[in-house]
Amino acid sequence: MDGRINRKVLFLLGPVAGIAMFLGVVWAASLFVRHYEYKEPYRAPAAAADATPRTEGVAAEKADAETKAKATPYAEAEYRRFPGVGSRVAIWSVAQLHLLFAAFVLAVPMFAFIIEVIGYKTGDLRYDRLAHEFTKLLSVSFSLTATFGAFLTFMLIILYPKFTNYLMSVFSPTFLPYVLLFFFEAFFLYTYYYGWGKFHPLVHLGLGLGLNLVGTAIMMIANAWLTFMTSPRGISDQGAVISVWDAINNYTWMPINVHRFIANIAFGGSVAAAYAAFKFLQAETDEERAHYDWMGYIGNFVAISAFLPLPFAGYWLAKEIYAFSQTLGLTLMGGAFSWLFIIQAVLIGNLFLAANYYLWLGMGRVEGVQPLQKFIKYLLFAITLCFMVWATPRSIIATVSELRAMGGGAHPVLGYLGVMSAKNTAVNILILTTFMSFLLYRRTGKVATVSWAKTGHAVQLAIFAAAAFVVIFLGIYGYFVEATVRIRLSVPQVSSVLIAMISITIVDVFLFHGATRTGEVRWGHIPRVSQYVLIFIAVTFTWLMGLMGYVRSGLRQHWHVYGVMRDRSPDAFTPTLGFATKVVSVTVLMFFLLIGVVFWISSLHDKPDFERRTGTS
Amino acid sequence: MKIPLILRIGALVVATTGFYTYVGQMVPQKEVQPPAEIVLRTDLTTADMVKVGREIMEGKGLCFTCHTIGKTGALRFPDLAGVDTRAKTRKPGFTDVQYFAETLYEPNAFIVPGFNPGMPTINKPPIGLTDQEILCVIAYLQTLGGTPTVTLQTKHQYNAGTATPTTPSSGVSPGGAQPEATIKKEKG
Repeated sequence: MDGRINRKVLFLLGPVAGIAMFLGVVWAASLFVRHYEYKEPYRAPAAAADATPRTEGVAAEKADAETKAKATPYAEAEYRRFPGVGSRVAIWSVAQLHLLFAAFVLAVPMFAFIIEVIGYKTGDLRYDRLAHEFTKLLSVSFSLTATFGAFLTFMLIILYPKFTNYLMSVFSPTFLPYVLLFFFEAFFLYTYYYGWGKFHPLVHLGLGLGLNLVGTAIMMIANAWLTFMTSPRGISDQGAVISVWDAINNYTWMPINVHRFIANIAFGGSVAAAYAAFKFLQAETDEERAHYDWMGYIGNFVAISAFLPLPFAGYWLAKEIYAFSQTLGLTLMGGAFSWLFIIQAVLIGNLFLAANYYLWLGMGRVEGVQPLQKFIKYLLFAITLCFMVWATPRSIIATVSELRAMGGGAHPVLGYLGVMSAKNTAVNILILTTFMSFLLYRRTGKVATVSWAKTGHAVQLAIFAAAAFVVIFLGIYGYFVEATVRIRLSVPQVSSVLIAMISITIVDVFLFHGATRTGEVRWGHIPRVSQYVLIFIAVTFTWLMGLMGYVRSGLRQHWHVYGVMRDRSPDAFTPTLGFATKVVSVTVLMFFLLIGVVFWISSLHDKPDFERRTGTS
Repeated sequence: MKIPLILRIGALVVATTGFYTYVGQMVPQKEVQPPAEIVLRTDLTTADMVKVGREIMEGKGLCFTCHTIGKTGALRFPDLAGVDTRAKTRKPGFTDVQYFAETLYEPNAFIVPGFNPGMPTINKPPIGLTDQEILCVIAYLQTLGGTPTVTLQTKHQYNAGTATPTTPSSGVSPGGAQPEATIKKEKG
């Protein structure tokens, strides 16, 4: 009854408050206008005023200015200045935000689709619910991606008109297909999300597949524009277009496509896991906690699975940069940006540590004492050691006396760890160790029952040891050979790790087929700190994307299009890494503020309707 | 007092971001300016050209991104110590000036044994040195194991002439200005 009265009161109060606010706004606006309106200065009546030389002079000046203004020819601006932070930082931030949301929107449908396929194949409705939960995050993110995309386009046209015009002239045939694909993307995305449970499962999966294919095509077109800026092709020495296809298919296009495809999955998985962590921490029932723990685990699993092959895609990209221009490659790895890779090492080291820590905490989900946990300390030692090697710089900033004591810019002992031989070895062992952590987690609470179990374990261990031996041996061998040979050693190092991961997984699948369980997995039974670890991983991934986005773009230094169109704006210089990291951080904070809004809007879906909440219906 | 969840997560995000920003401040800070566009005076002496050539190699030419002087061991690109001595005999029938000109204008025409191709064409973007700037670089390279001989009038196979090394210069000409004064730099 009270509720009903309150609603009536609210019903009456609403229009009254609206009218009062309207009157208030009209009053305030008229007060403002009266106060600031332009008032003609008092002038004496024309007949009474004498023409003075000053009045004539002012009139002549005004007429002269008008004539000059009318005679001014149209001149195309090369650059315009963004107030405050300047054009470069403005474009940088908007582009980065657009890219982060775009990466998320492209990645989530990929694993939502895969999870839905698993649900369809197994008939387990939990997977279907999980996939649906992931896609809830898409709708708002898609709008934000498009908004930032439009914002970026307008900013480019306003702030860098000449350069934008050039890029548009080179890639004009790609713009209409791009817009058309965006329509298809919107169609597939909204039918996929709103059509959940409304179509035959196979039709719905078809929509998901369409969404992924169109999303990937959009990404590849946009990648053509930005990779052309770094490694232009298909144009004359003066920049005239010779072949649009060659301009698209430039040196770094396909490596960037592959690198971004994988990185987007890793990033999207980590942000989705952060969402699950947020919901886990908010959860009030065991059932909710179990669901979001599982969702966080899947999101993190997707992120780390995609993260492991990412360095290999990075090698390919770097190789193509060198193939295009040795100067560009050396600027990247040995010039102005070499120290950026030390920051990257800290980030990736943290990612590996956090991912492994989460897996180790997850072992506690399984009932009973876990014998495999005793191996954690060895894994932690290996990870820490690799992290230290990877983060060791080749040359260090030191005082004169310190330099004298060291005998040069590099430390006499630690300096040897700062070269690529050591770093390649460290990252490969890091990947192997993380893979080992995952294997331990996978077999926690299980006992293999196949007759060849003992042999299977031995084979797995032998493969692992052989891969580690190859990686370390080639790492040491690299110190004794010429650079041309040393560079090529990374290929067998990477290959041995990949072969080991694939072959050990295959053996593992058969080894634990029909395994007996020594304890059940109790989803939701995990320390709360694990959820903060997931959020930490998401922030680190986002920051890493921001940093690597900076080096990919900043590598061109004072060129809009490398070697073709020079940047002559006041921002043509390459800023310090300290400045760059501040911009990256601000962008990351803005992203998390906005993704927080996305999470909040998505969570509205689960809230009871207003009527039910107030109990009035 | 229990801290609200949103504040705890916010603090974690800010602290993580703050930590990485701090790491970014700990590494060496260097702002790289675009190379200044140099307009060379026409009356540079060979000695002036040597100094200008060294400046170009350190800056606009980006030579020392790859090359070293006096470094031994596993090298990625040829070390330039004593390079003039080698240049005189590297290709039969080529003078040192002709050899240097070829390595700069047409770097893949001859690859030093034991190294991979990788040298960019120096008179084209992104480096884009002018013919006069390249002569200055050659003048400097000649000092590494030899005596500089080129002048701004020296002709070689890439600037409309065959190489005709001039008489070795005895240094700065009487009344010749110092290189800092002979070049006019304009910010690009």
